This record gives sequence, structure tokens and C-alpha cells, in this order.
Amino acid sequence: MNHAIISCLHANLPAAEAVLNDIDRQGIDTITCLGDLVGYGPQPNEVVELIRNRDIATCQGCWDEDIIDGLNACECSYPSQLAERRGHLAHQWTDDQLTDENKSFLASLPTSLRRDRLLFVHGSPNSQHEYLLPDMDAFAALERVETAGADILFCGHTHQPYIRELRDGSIRVRLQNADHDCDQGEELTLPMRKIVNAGSVGEPRHGSTNATYVIHNDATDEIEIKEVPYDVGRTCQAIVEAGLPKVFAWRLSHGFEFAEQAEDASHVCER
Amino acid sequence: MIERWALVSGLRGDLETYDLIQRDLKKTRGVTALFVLGDLVGPERNCDALLDRLKNPHRGDLKPDCIYGWWEEQLLAERGFRGERKADALRLSQGEDAVSALLNTVNPSHLTWLASLQFGFIELDCALIHGSSSDVGDNLTSETSPLILLDRLTRLNVNRLFTARSTKQFHLELTGGGINSQVKDLNGKREQQQEVPKRSVIGIGAGLNYTLYDVGSDKTHFLTAGSKTNPKGKGFA
Repeated sequence: MNHAIISCLHANLPAAEAVLNDIDRQGIDTITCLGDLVGYGPQPNEVVELIRNRDIATCQGCWDEDIIDGLNACECSYPSQLAERRGHLAHQWTDDQLTDENKSFLASLPTSLRRDRLLFVHGSPNSQHEYLLPDMDAFAALERVETAGADILFCGHTHQPYIRELRDGSIRVRLQNADHDCDQGEELTLPMRKIVNAGSVGEPRHGSTNATYVIHNDATDEIEIKEVPYDVGRTCQAIVEAGLPKVFAWRLSHGFEFAEQAEDASHVCER
Repeated sequence: MIERWALVSGLRGDLETYDLIQRDLKKTRGVTALFVLGDLVGPERNCDALLDRLKNPHRGDLKPDCIYGWWEEQLLAERGFRGERKADALRLSQGEDAVSALLNTVNPSHLTWLASLQFGFIELDCALIHGSSSDVGDNLTSETSPLILLDRLTRLNVNRLFTARSTKQFHLELTGGGINSQVKDLNGKREQQQEVPKRSVIGIGAGLNYTLYDVGSDKTHFLTAGSKTNPKGKGFA
């Protein structure tokens, strides 16, 4: 059976509606959302209510967490001080706009969802703020999936959709301790695991303005990255009218945030 | 010239043990640094005399460089040095009596100094931490999955991680292996191969059991204070 995974809606109602319509057209009933319903975009209440009204299983994203718990991320959340200032402005604006009821909903979200050997998180099993970038250290990536007890880890947060298969892994070790001077060499065979990043519905950063999500078939394990065009201009107009930083509209209209890519793929969030 | 580090942990207020180690080190050639990787305090005995000695070394003592460990973390949390956190891990694992006992073993005058201790040291390409960069309570042993050990080394970008939390003495070396990965995105597919770098995790022991590390030759010696074992007899390259 096919199920759809969406992430990082970022208060972009036209994009969220377009993606859900695309999923509906394919007759897919099961949808999982990996969080970041709010932040950056101009329609936080509308997007939260859309997810709530459709009763979509959702885990908490970093923006959702920050709105509830306050800003206390480590330095990896923003790649520059300028980006941090804009992020804080958007945080304050979103905090002012959101109704108490919608804040309560965000506060109620779990940090992860699990269906059998499928695990759904926003950033990583360690933190909503940790980036699992497509080219990060392969052993560290595998550790995240394996330690969490999953076969496939679905995540978002990077706004770049990808499917990463980690296979044919092994680690040879040699143990020496105070009791045994002799070597005890052995080889550990590592399991094959997958990380699937759903990209972003509301703020794509993969080089196109199209919203992205993924479809997974739980019988065949086939995974497809989907792109959905939507009325980007409508969202950009709403961003400007809301008084949010105009750069949010500019980067949305380019599909790539040139100044704000996480540069260090090996960074591990210390939050 | 030989350059050796002495690595000690788990003293838990035991000045007698620390004194034995200092005497050993005076008789050992080439020891240039003494690192005390946490658990200076513990609930079993009054720790004030040991803390005084660590802060104010005797003439002839190798001057210790200390970091904090799990027991300091519990003490500092309970005493309000960790924001809203309390000694929850201790309370959960050993109960309220253990928390009370710990509070009674350390004079509050030592708390500011304990709170000033660092989480760990990076020396050359080695990390010296009580647990790991993941957590001060991260209990790495020779039984821990090599995948997790490699992750802890990768997080720090070091070749050797000296850890103390388990209280065990071991030297686990990652000697080889690799992994393939395929990334598929909207631009297509790409294959990647990665090899396991030669890296080690070393458990330094606790209390009387301590470790010497020869910086130049990368040899580890597991020792017991007060015993007559020659470091050469237990050297691991």
C-alpha cells in the first residue's frame, strides 16, 4: 500500500493544499507529516488547521518545538547571524499570530512516529534540529537509523528530498584489555538501511520552486520523490503583505536559499 | 624523549588512592601530564580533602588537569548549577538516599570550582572525556557496538577517544571495513564508498586502575596503583 510523507510545510497554505490535492488524486489515504507546520510563511494558523482537520499523523518539527519551548537551538540552526536575526523575527511574528488552540496542538505533537520498522522524525532520532544531509558521514547516518531500531528512517528538515541506501557495510575491530594481552579481532557486518528525506512542501531548497514529498510502498519498499507546482506568487505576495522579511519571498521564488545552506555536513546538533 | 600522559578517573573522594597514583607517577619515566577524567566526587566518603589536593597540589605532585564526570554532573544539577535540571539520573538509578549522601560529601565551597571544570579536552588528535561527546553519562565499553563507537569518534573528529564512564580498562581499535551508499535525488543517482578510518576508543579504568598513554608510540598501558607491574609489560600498540 502506498503512503505519503510530507514535511516542512512552513505556513505556506497554497503549497500545502496543492500537495494534499496531489496525494488525494492518487487515492492515497495514509499521510504522515514530519513537522515544521509553521515558520517563515504567512499562514501558520491556516496550515495547522488544515493538518488538524484532516487528522494527519504528525510529529513535531524544530519550528513547532521552538514556538512552544522558546529558542534554544545550538548554532547549527542558522548558518549566519543575518539568517539568525531573520529567523528570530519570523519566530516572533509566528508566535504572535498563532492561536492558543493551535499552539496547544503543536505542543501535543510527538517527536517521532513509528510503524513497524518505519520511523518518522523531523530532523533525526536525536533531535528535531539535527540535519541528516544526503552526503553526511555514511557510518554516522547508519548509526542514526540502526540505533533507533528502524529499517527505514523518514526525515525532513534539510528541505532537500533524497533517498539514501546504506549497504555492504562492515567494521573490523581489535580488542585489547587489561586481562587479555592477545588480540581479539572480529568483523561486524552492518545491516542495509535507508534514509528517506521528504524535502519540503512549503519552502523547497532543492533548486526548484516546486513543493516536494515522497510516496513509499510498504509492500515493495519502492520510494518515489514527487514534485508539485503551486502558486508561488500567491505565497510570496502574502509574505510581503504580512510584513515578514522580503528575502523569504525571494528565496521561495528561486527554490534555493543561497546564503543559508548548512555547510558542515558532519555537524551534529548539540542542542 | 618519551612523553606520557597519565589518565585517571573515578577517585570519588578517595585521597589515599590519588596519593598512591601520584607516588607511582613519580617513579614512572616520562609522564608529562595527568588528566583526571571526572568522578572526583562520589557518595561513599567525604570528598573535601581530595578536592583540596586537586586544587592545591602538594610539592612534587604532577599537576592534575581535571574535567567533570557523571557524579559531578549530578551534584551540580542538584545544587542548581544546571538550570532547571536536578540529579534525576542519580535519583532514578539509586534513589533519594544516594542524592542526599552525595550532597553531604562535598562542602559547598567547592561547587564553584567544580562548576568551572570543562566537559573534556582535545589534545593532539585525542579526545579526553568522561563519557563521550554525546553525554557525560555515555557508558562506552568494549561491548558497545562499533557503529556507535565510530559515531562518537566522528562527532569529535578525533582518532582516539579516552573515556572513563564504564570504569573498565580496554583499548578497542577500529582496524578496517567500509560502507557503500547510494543517494538518489531529483538530479539522479550517485554512489559513494567510505572506508573505516583507523581509530580507537580507550577505557581508562577507575580508582586504583589507571592508564598511561605514550604519545609518541601510541601505546597504552593499563596499570593498578601500588602494584609493581612494569608499564612495558602491558603496552598495547
